[in-house]
Amino acid sequence: MNSARHAIDVQDVTKTYVLGDVRVDALRGVTFTIDSGEYVAIMGPSGSGKSTLMNLLGCLDRPTTGHYLLDGNDVSKLSDDELAAIRLKKLGFVFQGFNLLARTSALKNVALPLFYAGMGTRTRNARASAQLAEVGLGDRMDHKPSELSGGQQQRVAIARALVNDPAVLLADEPTGNLDSQTSEEIMALFEHLNEGGRTIIMVTHDEDVASHAKRVIRVRDGRIVDDQATG
Amino acid sequence: MNLGQYFAEAIAVLGANRVRSLLTVLGLIIGVTAVIAIQVLGAGTAGAVSGLLGALSDRTFVVLPNQQQADFTRAAIRLSDLQRAKDEVPNVIAAIPAGGQRLLASYGHTHRRITFGAAPDERFATSTPLRFGRKLSEDDIAQSRHVAVVSDKGYEKLHMSGDPTGGSIRIGDRRYTIVGVLGTDKTGILPVNFNLDVSIPYSSYERDFVRGHAIVFARFLMADPSKVEQTEADALHWLRHLKGGRVEYQTFDRKTFSKAVDGIFAGITVVVGLIGAVSLLVAGIGILNIMLVSVAERTREIGLRKAIGATRFQVLLQFFIEALALSGFGCLVGLILGVAIGAFVNNAFIVNFSGVVAPIPWVRSILIATIFTTVVTVAFGTYPAWRAATLDPIEALRYE
Repeated sequence: MNSARHAIDVQDVTKTYVLGDVRVDALRGVTFTIDSGEYVAIMGPSGSGKSTLMNLLGCLDRPTTGHYLLDGNDVSKLSDDELAAIRLKKLGFVFQGFNLLARTSALKNVALPLFYAGMGTRTRNARASAQLAEVGLGDRMDHKPSELSGGQQQRVAIARALVNDPAVLLADEPTGNLDSQTSEEIMALFEHLNEGGRTIIMVTHDEDVASHAKRVIRVRDGRIVDDQATG
Repeated sequence: MNLGQYFAEAIAVLGANRVRSLLTVLGLIIGVTAVIAIQVLGAGTAGAVSGLLGALSDRTFVVLPNQQQADFTRAAIRLSDLQRAKDEVPNVIAAIPAGGQRLLASYGHTHRRITFGAAPDERFATSTPLRFGRKLSEDDIAQSRHVAVVSDKGYEKLHMSGDPTGGSIRIGDRRYTIVGVLGTDKTGILPVNFNLDVSIPYSSYERDFVRGHAIVFARFLMADPSKVEQTEADALHWLRHLKGGRVEYQTFDRKTFSKAVDGIFAGITVVVGLIGAVSLLVAGIGILNIMLVSVAERTREIGLRKAIGATRFQVLLQFFIEALALSGFGCLVGLILGVAIGAFVNNAFIVNFSGVVAPIPWVRSILIATIFTTVVTVAFGTYPAWRAATLDPIEALRYE
């Protein structure tokens, strides 16, 4: 067994939901690893289990059986608050709907994870403004989400996901609410971040978007049906 | 953990929903205002009453025949009765007529009907200050001198100006030399003092006006003020025996008034306490409701916060502090309004009336506001905060 530390190491993970009398096997035994610095797209039709897989990778949920090692730590049996701590330190989320706090400036939105990490105001603001500058919004820090375009809002969300320097950036349909030109900009940003060494996992059903990733994992009926590097 | 940050955020959220927040805490504001205003008013009244009673000697009590009785004439107290009291009632060292009557008085060119009567001697003295001249002395009483002390009201009624001492005043068909003018009489509202416009020595009053007439009420002086209840009982027993049985009298002393006032305030406190409890409940339910609405509205926000790493406790704290800020604000406004209204009513009525300015009971008022805040927040803010804290992040993020 290769004991080298992967960013993500999923070992024979299953997830079964029991809804009343109905058993839903959302994941039926999934095994794969993702190394640090990879840029992976997870694809699959709706109901394939890709969202369940994303929730597990994002430590929002626990597998029914199997193990999930994130950055070398087994997180499959952790409590809710322990998972929250893992999400805070090791993961960054980017959502389809941006999920920014509406009445809060870009700077404060980005600084939010640092608040939960217990940092002082000055440190938070310094790190958040550096992160906003990195995604190209250095001049929009005091704008509220409603004063920003969709692409800019998603950039703020990306800055928020990166501000605590996570091991993995998880993006769930990050371009789903954006037009094609803005989508290209966001994809370019992801590529830039990946070139800088970021590990990125992106769930999408859009082949164009997935083509930006360096590896595509295809999921169907709770199993991985294809896993290969893209040209 | 940065509590200040939580508060800042809570205030920002509440500020963004200004109208809703205000309407939510309105009930709380009204309740706290009512309870605190009554506290301030109560302290003002208690201060006024003890100020008044302080001006009243604790060595005296007053005896008067009941108005409703079969044989009122037989019950009437006479001068001869009082002269026997000091020998026949234990602990009584003197009994004097305390009544007064209305007669035409003349001073200069002014002729007015005034109330006048017997002034107690030094041993019965009240603490009413002097404006001019002196009070009646032991000598005035011993020698039944034709001297008079004018009260502030008498001074006005008879259109006096400057220092009238040395001048003369005619009451009925007798003349008295003015030896003193009193300042504001703080015992004026109490029936023990007769609100006399002009007082003369009780010995002169007996000689010139009482002889043969009934006395409206009598003032008894005790050697030992601590035995007031026993002495009053003895005096009543003695009077009934003297008058031959079927007569009724009542007594008044400092304690009678304190008790009456205490009783009134105990009643008011109970009623206001109930109002406070009801307003607490209603306001609490309002806050519970709006916090549940707030949690529901911000489900996605809660999901996001949890996704980026907020623990259950951090989410709980956020909403708990929002409830705390809401009720704290309501109680603070209630505190300020309550003290302001209480102090205003106090100044407009009680102080005007009694001249006694009682300090505002800040400690008690702040304590009440704090208790209200704590109870409302803990009782009604905990559940919505717990609901927010235990939301499943996946479900919450999917919420539309």
